[in-house]
Amino acid sequence: MKYRLRVNGGTRDVDVPRGTQLLEVLRDDLGLTGARYGCGRGQCGACFVLADSGRGPRAVASCLMAVDQAATVEITTVEGLAHDSELHPVQEAFAAGDAMQCGYCTSGMVISAVALLASSPKPSDAEIRDALAPNLCRCGVYTRAIRAVKRAAG
Amino acid sequence: MSREVSERAARVAPASRGSAPDAPIPNLVEQRIRFEPDGSVTAFSGKIEFGQGIRTAFAQIVAEELRLDPERVRMVMGDTAQVPFDRGTFGSRSIAQDGDALRKAAAYAREQLLRRASEKLGVARERLTIADGAVRDGGVRDGSRGLTYAALAADPPLAGEVPDDVPLTPASEHRVLGRPRARVEARDIVTGRATYVADVRLDGMLHGKRLQPPVRGARLRSLDDAAARAMPGVRVVRDGDFAGVVAERAAQAQAALDALEADWTSPNGDDQQTVVIPMREDDGVDAALASAAHVVEASYVLPYISNAPIGPSAAVADVRADEATIYAGTQRPFGLRTEIASALGLAEERVRVVPRMPSGTYGRNSVGDASFEAAMLSRLAKRPVLVQWTREEEFTYAPARPAAVLDAKVGVGADGSLVAWRYDEHTNAHGYGFAVDPRVAPFTSGRNAIPPYRFGKGRITLYIEPTPVRTASFRSLAAAENVFAIESLLDELAFAARTDPLTFRLRHIDDPRLRRVVEAVAERATLGERSSAGLGKGLACTIYHGTYCAQVAEVVIAANGTPRLTRFWCAVDPGLVVNPDGVRNQIEGGIQQSASWTLLEELGQRDGRITTTGWDTYPIATFRDAPEEIDVHVMGDEAKPSTGVGEPGTVPVAAAIANAIFAACGARVRELPIGAERVRRARPNG
Repeated sequence: MKYRLRVNGGTRDVDVPRGTQLLEVLRDDLGLTGARYGCGRGQCGACFVLADSGRGPRAVASCLMAVDQAATVEITTVEGLAHDSELHPVQEAFAAGDAMQCGYCTSGMVISAVALLASSPKPSDAEIRDALAPNLCRCGVYTRAIRAVKRAAG
Repeated sequence: MSREVSERAARVAPASRGSAPDAPIPNLVEQRIRFEPDGSVTAFSGKIEFGQGIRTAFAQIVAEELRLDPERVRMVMGDTAQVPFDRGTFGSRSIAQDGDALRKAAAYAREQLLRRASEKLGVARERLTIADGAVRDGGVRDGSRGLTYAALAADPPLAGEVPDDVPLTPASEHRVLGRPRARVEARDIVTGRATYVADVRLDGMLHGKRLQPPVRGARLRSLDDAAARAMPGVRVVRDGDFAGVVAERAAQAQAALDALEADWTSPNGDDQQTVVIPMREDDGVDAALASAAHVVEASYVLPYISNAPIGPSAAVADVRADEATIYAGTQRPFGLRTEIASALGLAEERVRVVPRMPSGTYGRNSVGDASFEAAMLSRLAKRPVLVQWTREEEFTYAPARPAAVLDAKVGVGADGSLVAWRYDEHTNAHGYGFAVDPRVAPFTSGRNAIPPYRFGKGRITLYIEPTPVRTASFRSLAAAENVFAIESLLDELAFAARTDPLTFRLRHIDDPRLRRVVEAVAERATLGERSSAGLGKGLACTIYHGTYCAQVAEVVIAANGTPRLTRFWCAVDPGLVVNPDGVRNQIEGGIQQSASWTLLEELGQRDGRITTTGWDTYPIATFRDAPEEIDVHVMGDEAKPSTGVGEPGTVPVAAAIANAIFAACGARVRELPIGAERVRRARPNG
């Protein structure tokens, strides 16, 4: 089945079985491995991408979104956040604050933070915790990540 | 008579595979440092980066001794075709051991470059300056007579064993060591460009899944693969009890795996027995207990828990007729190479293990399940194969942290001294795949079972008991278990002796470095000041592989008994500090992870079969559970060798929290995880 996807500001054509997970399409067909497999059930946030259906970007689990549905929205992955060599302020803040260890969950956290700041430019600590709660981190960088999001908010 | 096992005795211990485990590994400068024509340096280590920050720290160490900007140092790590042999990345030993070897290799290279430059230029060694990739005659103002490192190192090639007494740059002259530095990988990680194991893509690569046996050692009696074979793009492969599928797409492989109908025979029950290892056996312990003014007898219990990496195991293998390349998440690239070579029937030199960043796995990658499976599938399919375990497979088949029951009976004399210390540690093997070696076990399953306090008569015994649960390495091995018991016990003893926990501990600590971190953390956390109702602070400390770590937890207890960790303080002394922010990050993360073990985690199992399948049944701490503040006070000691920080931060946390809960509401909880119900049951008024 052929699909035309809008990803990271461009269009990409793929030919994959109907119902294929967006995560699999991104990683195996489009070479965008920044969204990571963690649980396949939307319980960990490692595969989050931004999906925009015209009402602003939302962080969604790409492991739960079928390609059919993905073709109806604008997708931005972590690879699409930086412009040329200029990092998104959230990426800049995570890097500067060393808000990572293994980094496996970082893509998803960055996506959630970007979605949060798009709807709430000056979030409180509680809002940050709530918005990033779907993103599990086993290395334990939560307090650093909260600081990084606040720093990105300026 | 005291019979304490010494480090020396344990080192004799080579029951495992491979060459003699603790034979010294020569430190050859040509295997460690390579000078590039562009003025940069490539340095080599067999250690693995999986989030601890050692790639950054190693680059700092090499840069310092070679007078370079750390940007100019590139680390090659773990690739068996490129790096010197290494036993593995564990025990928070990387900085202490390989950091030391790299530092000396870089210093030796620097001294050789200076010696050669002195000869070539005909200038006394003292007049030369070395910096930023060139050696110059300091007496010449325009610096035109500079010689590059690469040119000096080339002819003849710099080689030879690094002497142990090579002069190191003194701390007073450090320009790189001890300064905070952001992670080398940071930009790649935040942009998604970092390549993890599961991101490796090879031409012609297939997705593979192994049919997992229901229990280890089960035999495959029959396999009905008709439905799987009928699926497009799928092949079923089998070699004896090993069966699996490969497919063009990941979802096809999973569907084909699900379509296999297998009949397994149960393995014969093995007749493993409890191994009893005396760690200290003094005469007269019972008499000393009988004479004590206060005796505290208590049992502490910890469940099986999961390493629970966010990224389940993965590997990519490319196996050809006479060679193999394995892209792996592993802590033991050379050990894995031996195992894969053996499984494939290849000579070790024909197998190359290329580590890629795994998700943090906290000990789980000492066992190379996915790598073995990918290698077997690739051999059978004659194509490169990517294996990606599912979340459910990771919980179900990965090894767990052993359970533990810690029985203690300790006496305090009328003078306040610890007159007798009896401690029975019941746990399971903290390694996987080989028999328990009584000479090694005190340092693995018995790690930190001997308290860092002065005591009179002691009897400390380790019981390693068989279990149907697959257990293996876990961050800090048994230290976190033992220190939960010992540091909870210290508070119970202090309470019995009507002394505050800080004063009581200090009374029995001889080691000045331990005393220093305990006093520092107590001051920063204002321990001992009166606090509001329902709020409590608890102290705990440890010495872990030479790193001194003292902590205070602050908890608030809700009316229904739910403990919430609100603030945390830690003072840590890891000797000479390489990267202070790297130290803070590791300790903070260790505290956060260990708080999750303590308050939330328990792996479900029935007769050895894991019943936990996902994050819904294995909750870990989330952003909502994070404390408001984790204050890490890095109080290094530049006169002392650098020691590790990956594990020590996790070790005292459970006791600090349990002690804080006691301080807050009088509930002494001796079993983990500590949830509302355990607090309510232990609380004086329910």
